[in-house]
Amino acid sequence: MAGEGDSEPGKSFKLLGFLDVQNVPCARESVLYGSLGSLVMGLGHFLATSRVRRSCDVAVGGFICTMLGYWFYCRYNLAQQRIRQRMLKEGMKNRVLFEGSYLDPEKEQTGSERGDS
Amino acid sequence: MANHSQLGFQDASSPIMEELIQFHDHALMVALAICSLVLYLLTLMLTEKLSSSTVDAQEIELVWTILPAMVLITLALPSLRILYMMDEINEPDLTLKAIGHQWYWTYEYTDFKDLTFDSYMIPTADLPLGHFRLLEVDHRVIVPTSSTVRVIVTADDVLHSWAVPSLGVKTDAIPGRLNQTSFFATRPGVYYGQCSEICGANHSFMPIVVESAPLPNFEHWSSSLSS
Repeated sequence: MAGEGDSEPGKSFKLLGFLDVQNVPCARESVLYGSLGSLVMGLGHFLATSRVRRSCDVAVGGFICTMLGYWFYCRYNLAQQRIRQRMLKEGMKNRVLFEGSYLDPEKEQTGSERGDS
Repeated sequence: MANHSQLGFQDASSPIMEELIQFHDHALMVALAICSLVLYLLTLMLTEKLSSSTVDAQEIELVWTILPAMVLITLALPSLRILYMMDEINEPDLTLKAIGHQWYWTYEYTDFKDLTFDSYMIPTADLPLGHFRLLEVDHRVIVPTSSTVRVIVTADDVLHSWAVPSLGVKTDAIPGRLNQTSFFATRPGVYYGQCSEICGANHSFMPIVVESAPLPNFEHWSSSLSS
């Protein structure tokens, strides 16, 4: 997007060669939060238990769980946003189409207010 | 159309293709998680001394049964949702027949008037400057924007396949059989595709070009063609 970051349009960074973290929505945040979670959980486990091997296992598990957890949360919100956008677009189109006609929902509301008064 | 050395999908021009791209991103994220786990386990195995003292491994058996089942469910649910979405009964505004020949397409618009034309690739020697090599055709398929279009695909001689990636459409053209698909172009534009079933020497030279235009433009085009 214009004015955001220094990456040239069309360039992408692919994690492990296949996941385009720059252009896929929620991917970059998922990986970053996953890395942070991995660091926190692994380091925390090591500080608590001083077991290196098990702490590495916890770190990797934390990375996967945090990354996937944020991914599902972000994609769910994104799906809701897209549905709202579609409803808004449909509503705007219908408003332009039916304005002034008997199908205009605002006309029904005005009519009911007149009836109440 | 695809850029040179493009590996990913083209930008979506229909709601189904948007959903397919979303699902593809979801599947890749799950694949990234699995690859990370596998890489870590691989590293562990390569740095550990092997031991044959394990006689009972109930916990690991449980883990590598339940985890793959959860992964499959995570992938199957959105996949089935899109599959059923693609097969939804909708009332098309326009029906178009696409007939594959060696090596061109014939299109028929027979809803209102009998409109039939052939679509041949423009040879490179005759291509105007700035046009796309091996993709342009002499007669494009014009469809109205924001309208559900039903395409009935068949072939006259051998197997072909009518495919337009940015609309999320790929349907086999089989002689003696009518296959039906539909699409909804969300924005005006020109969308390119190529025959996707090997059909002879010029299989790579029978492209498909769908031009989505606003309804008044579509009506003007169809009336000019039929007159």
